[in-house]
Amino acid sequence: MSQLTIIGMGSRLCGDDAIGVHVLDELRDWDEPRLELVEGGLDALGMLDLLHQRENVLIIDATRMGSEPGSVKAFSKQEVSLVVSEDHLSLHGIGLTEALQLGESLGLLPQNLNFIGIQPLSVNVGSELSTPVQSAIEPVLQLVRETLNSSIKETEAYRGTGGTAIA
Amino acid sequence: MSRDLNINVHHLTRVEGHGNIVVNMKEGVLEKAHLNIVEAPRFFEAMMKGRNFQEAAIITSRICGICSLGHQMTSLRATEDALGLDISEQTYLLRKILVHGATIQSNVLHAYFLAAPDFLNVGSVFPLINTHKDVVVRALRMKRLANDIGDIISGRAVHPITTVPGGFTRIPEKGELLEIKRRIVEEGIPDGLATVETMKALAGAIPQFERETEYISLKHSDEYALYDGEIYSSDTGATPVSKYLDVTNEFIVPHSTSKHARNNRSSYMVGALARWNNNHDQLVPEAQKAAEELGLTAPCTNPYMITIAQVVEAVHCMVDTITLIDTLLDNGLKDEKPNQTPTRYGRGYGSNEVPRGILFHDYTYDNKGNIIEANCIIPTGQNLANIDDDMLKLVPEIVNKTQSEITLQLEMLVRAYDPCISCSVHMLDVKFIEE
Repeated sequence: MSQLTIIGMGSRLCGDDAIGVHVLDELRDWDEPRLELVEGGLDALGMLDLLHQRENVLIIDATRMGSEPGSVKAFSKQEVSLVVSEDHLSLHGIGLTEALQLGESLGLLPQNLNFIGIQPLSVNVGSELSTPVQSAIEPVLQLVRETLNSSIKETEAYRGTGGTAIA
Repeated sequence: MSRDLNINVHHLTRVEGHGNIVVNMKEGVLEKAHLNIVEAPRFFEAMMKGRNFQEAAIITSRICGICSLGHQMTSLRATEDALGLDISEQTYLLRKILVHGATIQSNVLHAYFLAAPDFLNVGSVFPLINTHKDVVVRALRMKRLANDIGDIISGRAVHPITTVPGGFTRIPEKGELLEIKRRIVEEGIPDGLATVETMKALAGAIPQFERETEYISLKHSDEYALYDGEIYSSDTGATPVSKYLDVTNEFIVPHSTSKHARNNRSSYMVGALARWNNNHDQLVPEAQKAAEELGLTAPCTNPYMITIAQVVEAVHCMVDTITLIDTLLDNGLKDEKPNQTPTRYGRGYGSNEVPRGILFHDYTYDNKGNIIEANCIIPTGQNLANIDDDMLKLVPEIVNKTQSEITLQLEMLVRAYDPCISCSVHMLDVKFIEE
């Protein structure tokens, strides 16, 4: 059974917004049975159900956090407040932030919810990642390795069993 | 009263300039009233050129998370038309279930997450979690059911992958179809009827505003047209889908990077209310009854009633999905392979009713099965001129209200159409909590 669910969010047609799904493309090559990979795309509300049924989730997404384009930061749900926009004129305005807020209010979020945020340079229409965000893929993959290893250690400590961390 | 008004709402998405309401009135004379939207499909041709017929539907389904299935269906139909790929009755029925699922999902979310907060005079769905938790949970339960219908029929709800040109790569099992049917009977229809009750209680908050316009949708001789039919205008009657350009007549306006459309008048409406006006007598009796309960009559010329028509359609789609499943099972499920042998190469057209209205895809293929030319006209593009015309009539009628009341009523109008901002970006927006 997979031990960590990774959700990559974003539109492949909106530049750096797609960083989450590009990282997912790389992760597929790992062929790592302990990972469950989910391409969340743009269906943020659809992710709520999934979150509700998992214990250990890592969301990878372009994140506005006021840092240099391409900078990468790992953080947990507890470490941030979500900036929810409430004035939508369209369902298309309801994104992951709003879905997470809804999930939190309804008690649907998993115990262990972590993020890797990547500051985008441009989220305008286009299928390419910008250079700084392209070069963020490797550090993100490194963080995923660390997260997977630490979540395995936690599981082992809990279960008292041995296991191998991946390189 | 001569009045100055200056309304500029630009909070539609986080991408600058992607959706503004702009109204300017000077000394009581309305100078400007329009909605600006940038639409991604203007990049459509560049995105599609050179793509193989196997790829087209996959790429188009990524245009938009909310309209994913609609684009995919229309894309498949355009490809099948261009390459002469016939589909089986089983494929036809399965696709109709998929379209029903997508319609339920979008209509329900729109009614609960966008319209209901307006009717209850709260800014968004979030305050409702505290005051009307059961209603929010019901909305999410209905979305889940709709999602699961998509998952089971197509393998995956958001970007269906087993739906390919010529058919399905995997046919759902009898047990899976029976499970969908059971859930629709046990939770879907009761939730649908509860939605009717909820909306009925809120209907008093729907603004009174009438503007008769031209209503365009698909029309089918045998059924309430969602998956199939001819183009039908309440002004000019039927037109074959292959002549869609004669209906859409796109034109460029200075205030918008998105093209507008017109047929017989300066604008026309597409979407749930246009479908209701053109095809209401083909709804299942349960949906007719829901319409009666909700005070929806035909023709209805109040655009704020789009939401009500969507709720009626959700009931229709629930009930009709049961009929479609029964038909599939009566016929016996066949383990068919998709028909992917082209009998010709050339131009083909696809059209479906997606939640926001009639959608067109138009591809021309070379003899290797690669796209040479592509065009796509989305419902929102067709509704833009109609929204502008609505605002032109509405603003003078409500000019004595306060600026914030006028702004809210304009926002509600735009929300009623639920414009597709396909390039809206959903990145996370966070602030780190200081220790």
